[in-house]
Amino acid sequence: MSGSAATPLLTVRGLKKRFGAVTALRNVGFSVERGEVTALLGDNGAGKSTTIKAIAGVAPIDEGEILLEGRPVTIRHPSEANALGIQTVYQDLALCDNLGICANLYLGRELIAKPTPLGPRVLRDVEMEAEARRVLKTLRINLPALDTPVASLSGGQRQAVAIARAVLWNSKLVIMDEPTAALGVAQTAEVLRLVRDLAGQGYGVILITHNMQNVFQVADNIAVLRLGETVLEARKANLTPDQVVGAITGTLAIGAAA
Amino acid sequence: MTTTTQPAVPVQSPFKRWLSGVANASDLGMLPVIAALIVIWIVFEVLNANFLTPRNLSNLAAQIVVTGTLALAEIYIILLGMIDLSIGWNSVLAASIFSLSTVFFHLPVVAGLVLGIVFATVVGFLQGMLVSRVGVPSFVVTLGGAMVAEGITLGILTPHGGSVPLSDSLTTAIGTLNLAPLWSWVLSIVLFGAYAAVTLNQIRQRTAGGHEGGYAAVMRLIGVGVLLFGAVFMLNAYRGVPFLLLIFLIALFASAFVTKSTQFGRHLYAVGGNAEAARRAGISVRGIQLAAFIIAGFLVGLAGYLDAARLGVASASVGNGDIMLNAVAAAVIGGTSLFGGRGSVYGALFGALVIESVSNGMNLLGAASSVRFIVEGGILLAAITVDTVLRLKRLRTGRA
Ligand SMILES: Nc1ncnc2c1ncn2[C@@H]1O[C@H](COP(=O)(O)OP(=O)(O)OP(=O)(O)O)[C@@H](O)[C@H]1O
Ligand SMILES: [Mg+2]
Repeated sequence: MSGSAATPLLTVRGLKKRFGAVTALRNVGFSVERGEVTALLGDNGAGKSTTIKAIAGVAPIDEGEILLEGRPVTIRHPSEANALGIQTVYQDLALCDNLGICANLYLGRELIAKPTPLGPRVLRDVEMEAEARRVLKTLRINLPALDTPVASLSGGQRQAVAIARAVLWNSKLVIMDEPTAALGVAQTAEVLRLVRDLAGQGYGVILITHNMQNVFQVADNIAVLRLGETVLEARKANLTPDQVVGAITGTLAIGAAA
Repeated sequence: MTTTTQPAVPVQSPFKRWLSGVANASDLGMLPVIAALIVIWIVFEVLNANFLTPRNLSNLAAQIVVTGTLALAEIYIILLGMIDLSIGWNSVLAASIFSLSTVFFHLPVVAGLVLGIVFATVVGFLQGMLVSRVGVPSFVVTLGGAMVAEGITLGILTPHGGSVPLSDSLTTAIGTLNLAPLWSWVLSIVLFGAYAAVTLNQIRQRTAGGHEGGYAAVMRLIGVGVLLFGAVFMLNAYRGVPFLLLIFLIALFASAFVTKSTQFGRHLYAVGGNAEAARRAGISVRGIQLAAFIIAGFLVGLAGYLDAARLGVASASVGNGDIMLNAVAAAVIGGTSLFGGRGSVYGALFGALVIESVSNGMNLLGAASSVRFIVEGGILLAAITVDTVLRLKRLRTGRA
């Protein structure tokens, strides 16, 4: 699909990935626009996680193209993805339960002061808390006191911490792998609201989920993978849930990407 | 997701909030161990009225130093979720190198001291390399390291009859002298003033940022003041604050700063809490592990020297088993979780106080060492059980 005048934030084309004898990705391609949510759908084993691991640099692709703002990029390591402004909220969240909310938000890039050129690297906790509070406010996330250990938060709150963490790193593209799995109704609604807010603030979002209702609530663009291939990519407005389900299960033959 | 920023119960005094926070916390900090310490002291005082005397408590203050410093070293490793079984023999090795180089090779005392501590630090570094680069479990590496250190120590000291008396003036002074009462007061008042200023400043900055909960900090400040001035009062009633204790406290406060206020400390807790999350956050997990082993090695070397100074002799017979086990016990009793990522360096002080109070009290009662072992082992098992139960409680509530 095309039509937008500006280059998309992210375009992937012809991604291929083999694990020994298993071909996980044969031909994956889709785009993500700034300020939009692209839902990545597909049955179990379709290759969704493999695709985002490729974009996040966790498991680099064998063949194919990744274009960021029109420029081809190679991403072979998570730190390279981070440097390009790509942040991933993993399914297992990767938070340190023993640390507080603020410590988790800034993990690995704490604000520090060096009283002498040789160190010590002293934490600027008060400033980190103030900045974190500001970011949480722009995302309309309410959390308990910022030194509360993450272990004592609810699933939705932990998800919110993980998402806010991704946003704090000057990112352009936020990838989320099943952020609403295992959440209750109210918490799911809150996380979806957060996803919409991110897009509203200009971030590009890739959202993986199995929940069709969620997809139609928040996505702008929908890409469906089947057996490692993109079988459908279209604007949500041009699709019905039945068509999407058909594409996922393979019962509905859709010619090319609409 | 929360939709409330207010506490669930609308009107509640800060004191009640603090109290219920304490009651529901899965990490109680130093409170349980301080409570246990009070019980132990009362029991021993009832059994023998000589226990809570300035003289005996001054002895106790010197007795906790080696266990406390070793426990401090061990806490750096336990925070990683690892264990170091070599701290006992490595400390004795540092002391024997010191004694040999100063008594037989006539090195200046300070040079010998540096040599001993550097040696222990290098042992820590080598063990850290095996653990972090090669990935050998710390338990195995340090068990092997302990045996090597024991072998070298015996090799060094056996030709000299197994022990070398120390008589240089620095070592004697550190091992036996005290900071005069007046200076003890001055120092403690200055230190407490600085601590209070920092705490109050933090509370002010936080509340300015809309953060509540300065109450816990104020309670902590009061608690620290009571403990500090009570201890100084007690020690001054005898001869003042032992230099040994002063050195341990300096190491303790420096460690508190390193673990709580620096980026390294934050990463140390992160690696111990969730190494995979730390790695994905760009933290060099191996680097943190190696650094922890190096710091522990340094503290172990210091502990070895302090032990030799206290006893006036570098001896191979002090290394056997229980100084290491006492230190591990002190760390765990002080609330450091063997599962990694939880605990505080102050646990070294209070854990060592518990262990050494029991040992001291039993000695006063003339108890056989068989009984002492059983009681100390029982306390260790109780502490580990509490640690495990609290962890299970956290796991349950953490998934809620
Ligand atoms: N590390 C690996 N080694 C071998 N095969 C793998 C590996 N990772 C993924 N695969 C295979 O690649 C295919 C795609 O897996 P992937 O995890 O991307 O699916 P998914 O769409 O995320 O599924 P789900 O909805 O279950 O999470 C599967 O057949 C899977 O077995
Ligand atoms: Mg998956």
